[in-house]
Amino acid sequence: MNIVPLVIYACAFVGYSLHFARRTPISARLATTMLAAAMLAHTFIIGMRTMQVGQVPVFDATSAMSMFVWLLAVAYLYTEVTTDERAMGVFILPLILALQAIPAFRTDAVVHPAVLRGPLFGIHVSSLLFAYASFALACVIGITYVLLFKEIKTKHLGVFYARLPSLQVLDQMNQRAIVVGWVFLTIGLIAGVVFAVEANVPAMLSLDDPKILVALICWLVYSFELFAARRIGWAGRRAAYLSALGFAIVLLNFVPISYLTSSHKF
Amino acid sequence: MRLLLVGISHRTAPVDLRERVDFQARGVELALRTLAARKPGGTANEIALLSTCNRAELYMACEDVGTARSELVSFISAFHDVDASAIEPHVYDVTDVEAARHLFRVAAGLDSLVVGEPQILGQVKEAHSASRQADTAGPLLNRLFHACFAVGKRVRTETNLGSGAVSVSYAAVNLAKKIFGGLEGRNVVVLGAGEMGKLTAQHMKSQGVRQVTIVSRTIAHAARTAEAIGGATAARWEDMDAALSASDIVITATGAATPVLTKARVESVMRPRRGRPLFIIDIAVPRDVEPAAGEIEQVFLYNIDDLQASVRENLARRSSEVARAESIVEEELEKFSRWLRSRGVIPTVVALRQSFESIRRAEIDRLEFKLSGLPPDARDEARARVDEITHLLVEKLLLMPTEQLKSLADAETASMYAEAITRVFGLDEAEQKGESRVEPFRPKSRPSGRQR
Repeated sequence: MNIVPLVIYACAFVGYSLHFARRTPISARLATTMLAAAMLAHTFIIGMRTMQVGQVPVFDATSAMSMFVWLLAVAYLYTEVTTDERAMGVFILPLILALQAIPAFRTDAVVHPAVLRGPLFGIHVSSLLFAYASFALACVIGITYVLLFKEIKTKHLGVFYARLPSLQVLDQMNQRAIVVGWVFLTIGLIAGVVFAVEANVPAMLSLDDPKILVALICWLVYSFELFAARRIGWAGRRAAYLSALGFAIVLLNFVPISYLTSSHKF
Repeated sequence: MRLLLVGISHRTAPVDLRERVDFQARGVELALRTLAARKPGGTANEIALLSTCNRAELYMACEDVGTARSELVSFISAFHDVDASAIEPHVYDVTDVEAARHLFRVAAGLDSLVVGEPQILGQVKEAHSASRQADTAGPLLNRLFHACFAVGKRVRTETNLGSGAVSVSYAAVNLAKKIFGGLEGRNVVVLGAGEMGKLTAQHMKSQGVRQVTIVSRTIAHAARTAEAIGGATAARWEDMDAALSASDIVITATGAATPVLTKARVESVMRPRRGRPLFIIDIAVPRDVEPAAGEIEQVFLYNIDDLQASVRENLARRSSEVARAESIVEEELEKFSRWLRSRGVIPTVVALRQSFESIRRAEIDRLEFKLSGLPPDARDEARARVDEITHLLVEKLLLMPTEQLKSLADAETASMYAEAITRVFGLDEAEQKGESRVEPFRPKSRPSGRQR
């Protein structure tokens, strides 16, 4: 079923590419409408799955991925509607497509051990997913910042100069996405620790678990980014590079660690 | 009713004549009211006046374009007290679809001195609103102007005709906006109190920057320039670093033979700024800023050649967009001329409808005699039904010919059709006879029927 939103996301990508090339009001409306349609279809699929399994499907890696893509689409659409900037759609959609391809072609068995229950666990998972979606957005905004920065710095004013918002706006958007992501990452980690303590399962708190280790590294990278941007003037391009690095670590946690190791499975 | 355009523009008239016939100085509305009072062409017509620094154009809907043209020229001459013989050689006049094409091209920015400049569409809108205010707008001009707004909007959104700055100072302002988002709240420092620095600073000031500081080796010069700009402040040469630290945009325009801002100096200025970007515009020749200063993180250094290169690129891009804009003009012109042609057959359509209606009424009158034998209730109902049915019948019979006439492709065919219909239905004769052109059959003993 996850293939339906994938196909509509692909259509939205075509719409955003068309809009990036032509910048007409019709292509703008078309792109946003397609993305909204894809998101609605995705909401419907997640809703169906929720009814099927009796809770929000975030317990297996594939369902969590689907939820992450949905959150990313929501976060991007919110940014687009509030800023009226569509040029970044062409950068965010490939990421959405690549990640949605996993749930579209793979279904994990519903595993929901009794130990993983309760509101704290829900807060832990949903906060982390939302944090990662914010970091994904920050990464894409950071990449567009670097592209525009290079055009202005090297005096070759071209494609990005004509299409992207100003460096200042991109920097602010990047910083906001990181702040939101960092807050949710912190909440998610604290909720995880409290949950593990309450559940009294020592393995849940072990730094030998790569997922926990990588999440902590993530937290350190983004904490440093926030500190550096405010205290040592690492705004702009350096902040953009750091947000890309941070998201690369997030992805590491998401794809290889989830699928290739038995990490964080209880 | 025909459409006439009479005007002068930067293409036909020198600047001194354009200055003398500037309608804005005395007010476009006053000019329109004065002209309307003269009743050019013998009737009170629709008139609009487009007046910018590069053109003065009168658009008019009239019957006799020959008379109207000479009256418009004499009005321009009288209103501005300029000899008509001085204006006449520079005046151009076009009519109907060509006049519409001209206005569409003007609104698209294709006829501007700098192709694609954005102000013209606003000026065209003002011209239309002035003619509405002065009560000189009418159906033809309203349609014409709304069509040209659509052209301007489409060209702006569907082409890159207006994109990119085409002057050095606009290029600098655009770059600054792309770095800082907006110029509001930004601090500008100008090094050098010469004319170039002053002009650029004035341009920045007009864009809404918070503060302009002039730094010069001679504080008196700096103060004079600051005063000339208005709202700017002067600073000593020794205080330059402090001023630079607080600035966002630096314009260097000194006459120094060696660079004033070395890489080391810019680095020391950047240190306390904590990554805040600095945009340096070096418009001095020889250059005031060491090129290596542009390598520093968060420093954007542009010199006069860089800005000129960007202007050249933009001009080239604009000229490559002209063909697309022209095709939009032609598309919209086709729609407008279709409408204009359909107006040409309107008198025939109206006459045809009047003729059918009078036949219908005559027949209803004739029926009144037959209805008189019915009881009053049944008579009223029968009359209403007959009226409704005959009305529908006439509407249906006329629908196809009306649509066909309005959709005719060229004026010649339309006129031929109109002529044929006039003859076939005897519309000319009917018109001469007036209301009594179709006499109903009235029996001699017919009682006085109720006229509907």
